Amino acid sequence: MSEVEFLKVCNVCKSFGEGDSRQEVLRGMDFTVAKGEFCVLLGPSGSGKSTLLNIIGGIDSADDGYISIAGDKLRDMDEKTLTRYRRKHLGYVFQLYNLIPNLNVKENIEVGAYLSDKPLDIDELLNTLGLWEHRYKLPNQLSGGQQQRTSIGRAIVKNPDILLCDEPTGALDYNTSKEILKLIEDVNRKYGNTIIMVTHNNAISDMADHTIKLRDGKVRKNITNDNKISAVDLDW
Amino acid sequence: MATNIKKSEGTAYVPGAVSSKRKVGNPLRKRLFREMKKDWKKYFVLFLLMVFMIGLASGIDVGNDSMMAAIDESYEKYSIENGHFELHSKPTPELLKEIESEGITVYEQFYKDLSESRKAPIEKTEDDKDVTVRIFKIRTEVNRACLMKGAMPQKAGEIAIDKNHADANGIKVGDTLYIGEEAFTVSGLISSSDYTTLFRKNSDFMFNAIDFDIAVVTPEAWESLPSSIFYQYAFMYNEAPATDSEQKEKADALMEKLAVLSATGGFTDEKETAEELKNKIQSQDPETMQILSEKAGSINELTDFVPEYANQAIHFAPEDMGSDKAMMSVLAYVFIGVLAFIFAITTSNTITSESAVIGTLRATGYTRGEILRHYMLVPIIVTLLASAAGNAVGYTIFKDAAVSLYYNSYSLVTYETRWNMDAFLTTTILPMLLMMLINFIVIYRKLRLSPLRFLRKDLRSSKRKKAMRLPSWSFLKRFRLRILFDNMGGYLVLFVGIAFVMLMLAFSIGLPETLDHYKGQMDENLISNYQYVLKGYKDEEGNVIATSEESAEKYSVTSLETIGGAHKGEEISVYGYENQSQYIRIGEALSGNEVWISSPYQKKFMLKVGDTITLKEKYEDKSYDFVIRGIYDYDGALCVFLPQENFNKTFGLDADAFTGFLSNNAISDIDYENIYTVVTLEEVMSIATQLDHSMGGMMDMVAWVCLVMAILMMYLLTKIIIEKNSTSISMVKVLGYENKEINSLYILLTSLVVIVSAIATAALAILGLAGVFRLYMNSLNGWFDVYISPMGIAKMILILVVSYAIVAIFDMMRIKKIPLSEALKNVE
Repeated sequence: MSEVEFLKVCNVCKSFGEGDSRQEVLRGMDFTVAKGEFCVLLGPSGSGKSTLLNIIGGIDSADDGYISIAGDKLRDMDEKTLTRYRRKHLGYVFQLYNLIPNLNVKENIEVGAYLSDKPLDIDELLNTLGLWEHRYKLPNQLSGGQQQRTSIGRAIVKNPDILLCDEPTGALDYNTSKEILKLIEDVNRKYGNTIIMVTHNNAISDMADHTIKLRDGKVRKNITNDNKISAVDLDW
Repeated sequence: MATNIKKSEGTAYVPGAVSSKRKVGNPLRKRLFREMKKDWKKYFVLFLLMVFMIGLASGIDVGNDSMMAAIDESYEKYSIENGHFELHSKPTPELLKEIESEGITVYEQFYKDLSESRKAPIEKTEDDKDVTVRIFKIRTEVNRACLMKGAMPQKAGEIAIDKNHADANGIKVGDTLYIGEEAFTVSGLISSSDYTTLFRKNSDFMFNAIDFDIAVVTPEAWESLPSSIFYQYAFMYNEAPATDSEQKEKADALMEKLAVLSATGGFTDEKETAEELKNKIQSQDPETMQILSEKAGSINELTDFVPEYANQAIHFAPEDMGSDKAMMSVLAYVFIGVLAFIFAITTSNTITSESAVIGTLRATGYTRGEILRHYMLVPIIVTLLASAAGNAVGYTIFKDAAVSLYYNSYSLVTYETRWNMDAFLTTTILPMLLMMLINFIVIYRKLRLSPLRFLRKDLRSSKRKKAMRLPSWSFLKRFRLRILFDNMGGYLVLFVGIAFVMLMLAFSIGLPETLDHYKGQMDENLISNYQYVLKGYKDEEGNVIATSEESAEKYSVTSLETIGGAHKGEEISVYGYENQSQYIRIGEALSGNEVWISSPYQKKFMLKVGDTITLKEKYEDKSYDFVIRGIYDYDGALCVFLPQENFNKTFGLDADAFTGFLSNNAISDIDYENIYTVVTLEEVMSIATQLDHSMGGMMDMVAWVCLVMAILMMYLLTKIIIEKNSTSISMVKVLGYENKEINSLYILLTSLVVIVSAIATAALAILGLAGVFRLYMNSLNGWFDVYISPMGIAKMILILVVSYAIVAIFDMMRIKKIPLSEALKNVE
């Protein structure tokens, strides 16, 4: 397996419902993502990007086709192996943070650290995330941006190979969104994680190494960005 | 924009640095204390309920086992008999020698039954009822007494009486008691090792510590007591039987031999030889008549034979204590099961509200097992703490309460509290396993869903895609129905919890009512106030005994026992009544073996008119068949009634023979030496009196406990239901509903559920009570029905509804407190 094919999406199909209500969400997706790459899955609502992210994350399964990571096909893994795969290799960031309400910032990050044999240094990470001063606050005492930083911290503290981000800025304002994107960019640069981000914001593709444009469950464009810009320079 | 890469005090940031610290502990554990603190009221109530139930079970278990150990040890410590027998008259030394040749050693324990009163005869009024005291000489060889307080009698005029009887009647050491007409000072309080339960006769329906007493005096004082002597002997086997079955075989054989020996004056112990002897007597065989004249002085009659294993006075207390323990354990497990479901529903609701977090954790790599263990920890911790606290109060407060309850009912020896491994297991490990099992099943089922379902907050287990169609009722009615379906789990547990409380209420209200009803029935349809049993119907001179008491009427009575079936060996009183009897009013003319039976006999044995019953002599193989012609409404005992004439024919008695007199007034003109015993109303009602004394006070306490339990349990469940619906409640508030309208949705619905559950479970509880009572009655010699009045049922339902009314106030306050923002913050 070449470095270019770290993540391979091969003819992935997925549909929901039965009979008349059957809806094909993914209609044979094919693309690859290289290790350490920042890849954006871009598309409008209903294009299948979140479903694809969930299949890559092993929390949903394809009806047809497969996804392989570092040569291992997810469809060959049983539930236990999939859990282990997520535990060792994946970090998740969601639009709505999903923090544990009665754990403080530091403890929420420890939730991720617990899963790793060699977690990143939490105090340093808190500094990286700009949360050092807020480390003892509960989620309901934080702004949306601070909550999302905490959720990113929880995802990357175990230093995952792949960081999956599902509309991480979907619930945030413009400035905070840019802060979060910058943070993700820094994480990608410093820790070398492969990042796959789902978004419907076209502008974000400018900071990605690689953009997959989706529509109606198919890859419409697979663009390699040779002139990517920093998140601070993004505008929309 | 800054990425906010800051340096902490003295910590240099190194990109990609890996922690040098050891693996991070599970941070989810840090939530547990906060979770409990946040919802401390709920967990505290659950904790309290569990402590109470575990404490009660542990207290009864420990008290019971400590007491049982003391009872077991008392066999050796106080030399409890292997059995005893009673003869009609004092046996000759020759007869005793023959009896001892049957492989037993006998010990004389003659007794006298006298009246006992705290008032001097001159001070007594008609309302002062006497109690019967059975007086022995101080026994030094077998069946020794345990001195509980004071001293054993040292001289004439001193008496030591049963402690349980003394407590029940408020008699203390130093008090004066009148035995017959003679004054005695109570020198001490004792527990007789062969009378831990005060049964006057082994066949009695129920013991009676209030109207019956056991006492000891010095031999000199005993000799001077003016009363008939009962010639009872305790015996010990020279070779103790090794097994229970051997014990029974040995006792049966001994009883038969003693009956034959005493009837033949020691001539033979073989039944067949005795039959031959009887035939020879009938044919006036000269040789036999010679033998008979030699043995005439030794001829006697075995009037009672009770092997130790069948002696209710020895075994009733430990057996009853054993069944208390079993019943308490079952109640504790049922209740802990209910609490486990409450925990499971609480956890299930928490999982629902935290579904996105759980989805994230699962997506991040947390296993289902890790999350399952996390959510099971709170119930486990609370159960562990409750088990520890429950055992602590069980070993102290509840154990003392249980023991004092036993001392209140039985005359038990002193005991020492013992560490009890079984109690620990049954009150710690089993509740823990029950809690773990129920929570595991519920939580595991909930967590079976995929991470994606959790992330989407789609946790419905139903595959129904559309909402259930409801009838075209008003909007509010349909809304309430939706709430009901949505919270079905909670309402089902509420139903089970209410059923549990109603069962306890049925006991606390039904038992005293049953006893009162029984007393009332007995007052109304008692055969007579006094039943005199004579030693024989002729006096020493051969004159038929008569009385001038106008209300007196001759009657006969004998005891037979049932054969076969579940109640084998149950004693049945067979009455013979005079024609036109004023006491036993059976208008129908009965011929041959036709009889009426008492209603309890009919109910216990499920008999009907036309059935044939077979009863046998207690100490012989002779049996009698009777055909039932009617049911006589008399609750006092299991009886058979037949005309006097048929009675004498059936039992081969003289045509003018009778047993004694039925009378509404006391008979004063018959010499006490001719009277074997007198059965009074108090004795017939002793079961009700004793049960009332043993449990009456406790039943009031149980009713209060039920009230508190009902309040706490409904508080918990309705709290859970309201918390689960807090977003919806907040949303309808946002929409402009007023609190009273919301109350009409949630509180009214719960009120309806409570009322319907109370009515439905009242019926179930009464059926349960009747079932338990039937089991209890089956274990006794006798029968009476459970009775609970419509007022009693109304009281049960009212207690529950009042409990909920109190809870509803808290619920209304809780609904009022739900903020409008609740709906907004939970909407994505």
